[in-house]
Amino acid sequence: MTGPVKPTATNTGWCGAVAAGLALLAGAPGTASADSDFFEFRGFRAEASYTSDDNVTRAPASDALRDSALGVRVSAGGVIPISMRTRASVQGFAGTQRFGNHTGLSNNFIGTQGDFFFRSSGEFGAATYGAFIRTAKEEYESTLRDGYRHAFGVTWLKPATDKIQLSAGVTYNITDGKSIVFDTKNVSLRGNADWSLGRWDTVYAGAEYRRGDSVSTSSQSLAAVNVADAIVPDDAFDDTRFAYRFKASALLATLGYNRAFGESQSLDVSWRRVQSMPLHPPGNAPASELRYVVNQISVAYLARF
Amino acid sequence: MRPLGELDDPRRRILIQALAAGFFSSAGNAAAQIFGKAPGKLPAGQSIYRVSGRVTVNTQLATLQTRILPGDTVETAPNAEVIFAVAEEAFLLRGGSRMVIEKPPSGLTTALRLVTGKVLSVFGKGRPTRIVTATSTIGIRGTGAYAETDPEQTYFCTCYGVADISANNDPTSKETVSATHHDKPLYILAKGKAGGAIRRAPFINHTDQELMLIETLVGRTPPFVFPLDTYNAPRRDY
Repeated sequence: MTGPVKPTATNTGWCGAVAAGLALLAGAPGTASADSDFFEFRGFRAEASYTSDDNVTRAPASDALRDSALGVRVSAGGVIPISMRTRASVQGFAGTQRFGNHTGLSNNFIGTQGDFFFRSSGEFGAATYGAFIRTAKEEYESTLRDGYRHAFGVTWLKPATDKIQLSAGVTYNITDGKSIVFDTKNVSLRGNADWSLGRWDTVYAGAEYRRGDSVSTSSQSLAAVNVADAIVPDDAFDDTRFAYRFKASALLATLGYNRAFGESQSLDVSWRRVQSMPLHPPGNAPASELRYVVNQISVAYLARF
Repeated sequence: MRPLGELDDPRRRILIQALAAGFFSSAGNAAAQIFGKAPGKLPAGQSIYRVSGRVTVNTQLATLQTRILPGDTVETAPNAEVIFAVAEEAFLLRGGSRMVIEKPPSGLTTALRLVTGKVLSVFGKGRPTRIVTATSTIGIRGTGAYAETDPEQTYFCTCYGVADISANNDPTSKETVSATHHDKPLYILAKGKAGGAIRRAPFINHTDQELMLIETLVGRTPPFVFPLDTYNAPRRDY
């Protein structure tokens, strides 16, 4: 099944609302202390990153293409106290990601996120439960990936010891691209552990299982055609490659190190490995033809002001 | 037949020798040093929850077994840290600090003298306490507080509770801070215009997680429920 390009959506009103939200946050006065009973502005955050990715096509090894990207992300947000044990937070964010070789993957994005939190007490070991909803608009240098990315889910955060903090979450991810190949839905279950080596040094590790729609770009193959729910020539790459959407499961592992420089700046180095397998491999080809592995190494500078 | 007490199985012999040498308790302590432990109220007779680096109590090297009592002087080397409790008070003393826990002149008042360095403290309700630093004298009641001091100035954050702050060299510079959550950190200067030795300061060098930890050691919880993450270094989203 091929994936036609869907009619262009008119979402200027939505983008305008996000931009207005950011502007409102940007204009909000005050510091980390309470600004009003209704809204506590928590400042701006900025992140500049460099990521090396050995498989930007998310394809089997024979079709994997390596690239690197520079990224910038800024956000602003605040907290709305609801009761002693509950609160909400809102955040607006925007950013860009620029790829070195495959510029069709370069993109700009803008979005917003709302969270609701519950914590039973101020005890050291008390868990924090959360629910969130996030939506973002993405515009690529190419066309087919343009669209929206939505997510909602629940989170859990608990200090296990005075040096280790655990967190977990279940997220439902939805992408709504210009091509139906980039219309995806999947569920992820993740767990993370932060290990504090000292006041300024944290090592973190995470594992995630993701199940649902996945998109892979490769040269045309019978196995991919048989398993794909939708196919389209991928306009993000110069040569003839096709983007396939199919059902897959993926395991993601992350290992990282964060070095803080005071309370408002830090340097973060991380490695992420993704292993994806089709859920319904075609009968006429081994599943390994559609299996892919991604390794990403990322260095990021983060600042709060 | 082997004499009584001689073990046939060499593995069993090694295990018993290891138990006798306290190997597993040492391994447990080492694991706690590396991965931390879930804090709880300190048992009676124990003062120190965690010690890292060179820390002395009355010039004697401190261990987890060291008792700290009113009248003692606690000192930390530049990269050391000690977390401990004395009666209803709990402290996190950072590196390069010297603190004297003075014997109360009466049953009602305790006093601390932070000669130099940085200390995060929590105090029980109903026990008026006085903190004396190089440049200030602070009277507090049922408070969480963070202080840094050197000969030129003192940084003081009333994390929650009430503090009556006055400059040592200027009796006209005084201020009462009633805070719920780090509302008004201050600098108290050694030199300044009459009435102007106390100035607003930014929030620095302590976290809500640390306050929750030391309150736990004395069986209390802080008055806030949600720690403020803006006081921790920025992290990437997962």
